[in-house]
Amino acid sequence: MNGTKTLLKLCPLLVPYAALFCGGVFLTVGQSFGWMTPVPYDGGRFEAYAGLLSSPSFYASFLFSLQVGAVSAFFAVTVGTLLAYGVWKLPVRLQTTALVYKIPLILPHIAVAFVVMLLWSRSGILASLAHSVGWIDTLREFPNVLYSGWGLGMILAYALKGTPFVMLLVMALLVHFDPRQIQTARMLGASKARVFFRIVLPRVAPAMHTAFIILFLYSFGAFDIPFVLGESRPGMLSLHVYNLYFKRDLARRPEAMAILVIMFCFAAFFIMAYSGIVRRLESSERKV
Amino acid sequence: MKPLSLILLLFVLFVLPVVVLVLSSLAPGWRFPNVWPEAFSLRAVTYLVQHKDPTLIALGSSFLFSLLTVLTTLVMCLLPASVFARKAFSGKTLLEGLLLTPALVPPMTFAMGLHFLFIQWSLADTLIGVVLVLAVFSYPYMFRALVAGFQTLGGDYRACARNLGARPLRILLAVELPLLLPAVIAGGSVVFLVAFSEYFLVFLIGGGNVPSFTGQLVPLLSSSDRSLASILTLIFLFLPVALFVILDTTLVRAYRKRGMI
Repeated sequence: MNGTKTLLKLCPLLVPYAALFCGGVFLTVGQSFGWMTPVPYDGGRFEAYAGLLSSPSFYASFLFSLQVGAVSAFFAVTVGTLLAYGVWKLPVRLQTTALVYKIPLILPHIAVAFVVMLLWSRSGILASLAHSVGWIDTLREFPNVLYSGWGLGMILAYALKGTPFVMLLVMALLVHFDPRQIQTARMLGASKARVFFRIVLPRVAPAMHTAFIILFLYSFGAFDIPFVLGESRPGMLSLHVYNLYFKRDLARRPEAMAILVIMFCFAAFFIMAYSGIVRRLESSERKV
Repeated sequence: MKPLSLILLLFVLFVLPVVVLVLSSLAPGWRFPNVWPEAFSLRAVTYLVQHKDPTLIALGSSFLFSLLTVLTTLVMCLLPASVFARKAFSGKTLLEGLLLTPALVPPMTFAMGLHFLFIQWSLADTLIGVVLVLAVFSYPYMFRALVAGFQTLGGDYRACARNLGARPLRILLAVELPLLLPAVIAGGSVVFLVAFSEYFLVFLIGGGNVPSFTGQLVPLLSSSDRSLASILTLIFLFLPVALFVILDTTLVRAYRKRGMI
C-alpha cells in the first residue's frame, strides 16, 4: 500500500521522464537502425553505424569534440576554483563587487560566442589593441584564433561561460568552510600552496568534479556555440548532426541518429566511469 | 593575490565584455584598427525602436515559454521531490541518478527523436511542444533545488498541520509551498535562464512558428553591422537581472508583511 502511494507520488516526474526523455532516446535509437524513418529506409540495420565507424572524418570530429569539451572544462574548473577561493578570501566589503562574476551566467551561449567574436576576431578589439601597441601592422598578422583549426574560439567561449558556473558551485561549498582551519595550518608552518592543495582543494573537490562532468559533456555535445563560432573541418559532432538532419537528404536520417546514439552512449559511459573513479579515489584516500 | 588585483581581474574577465557591448551598440561604424570608436551614433537604437514589433513579439514569446517551463517543472517535481527528501526506498540512488541524466547528456540526443514523436502528436511547431522539450531538459535543476528545500524544511511543519487536521494536499499547498518559495525561486531562476537562452531546442521543436529572442539574435550575429546584435545581447543581460531584482524585492516585502523574516 505504502509502496503504491510512493509510486503514485513519483508519477508526475516518472511519466514525462519515460514518455518524453526515454521515448525520445528510444526513437533516436530506432531511427538509427532505420525504423520509423520519415522515408522508408532500404539500408541494413547497422549500415549507418558501419558507415560512421569506417569514416576517418567521424573519428576526427569525435576527437575534436572531445578536445574542445575537455580543454574548455579543464580551464573553467581550474580558473573558476582559483577565482572562487580568491573571492572567498576577499574582505567582506569587496565581496559585493565580486558579484560581477555572475554576468556570463545570465548571458545565453550564443551571446557569449558573440562576445568572443567581438574580442578575438581578426578585426576585433584585441587585434585593434595589438595594432595600437605596435605588435601588428595589418589585420593579417593577428593570429587567426577563431579559425585556427583547434577550436580555440569555442574553447574560449565555453571557458568564459563555464568559469562563473564553477565559481558558483565551489563558493557554495566554501560558505561552510571555517577559515580558522587555514589559520591553524599557516601557524603550524604550512605554505600558502600547501594550504590550498591539502586543505582547501579536498574540501571543494566534489563541486569541481560535478562541474567538470556537466561542463565537459555540455561542450562536447551542445549546438549553440559551434553554430555561431564553429569551424567546419573537422567540426563538432553536433554541427554534423544538424547538417545531416536539416540540410541533407532525408535518406541520411539514420546516419544523423547513429551519431546521436554514439554521443549518448559516450556521455552515459563517461558519467559512470568518472564517478566510479572519483569514488574509488575517495575511498582509498580515507584508508590512508 | 592582492584583493584589488583580483577585483581587477574579475572586471577584465566579466565586465569588460559588457563595456565592449555597450560601446559597440552605440558605435555602428567601429572598425579595426580603432581601439576606441571614432564616432558614436544612436542609429542602431533608432532602427530597433522603429522596427520594434518583431523584437517585442520574440521577447514576449520567449518570456511566455520560459515562465511556462518554470511552472511545468514545478508541477512535475513538487510531489516527487517531497518523496525523495523524506522516504527511503530501494533503488532510490539509482533512480535519482537516472532522473538527473536529461540535464547531463547532450539535449540533441533525445530532442531529435522527440521531434519525430511530436510531429505524430501534432505538438511540433507549437508552444506546448517547446515548453515540454524545455521542461524535460531543465527539470533536474528544479528537482535538485526542491529536494534540498524539503530537506531543510524538515517534517515538523507537516506534522503540526496534520495534527491540526489539514489534508495532505492542503498541507502541501498552504503550508509547505509558501515555505519552499526560496527553493522554488532558486530552481526556477535556473530553469528560466536555461529556457530563455536556449536556441537549438526552440528552433528544432518550434520550427520557426514559436518566435524566440535567441532566434531573433542568431541571424544578426553574423551580419557585418554588430550594433544591432550588441543591443539585443545587452537586453538579454538586463531583462533577467531586472526580473530577479523585482522578484527578490517583492518576495522580501511579502515575507516582511507576514512577519516571516
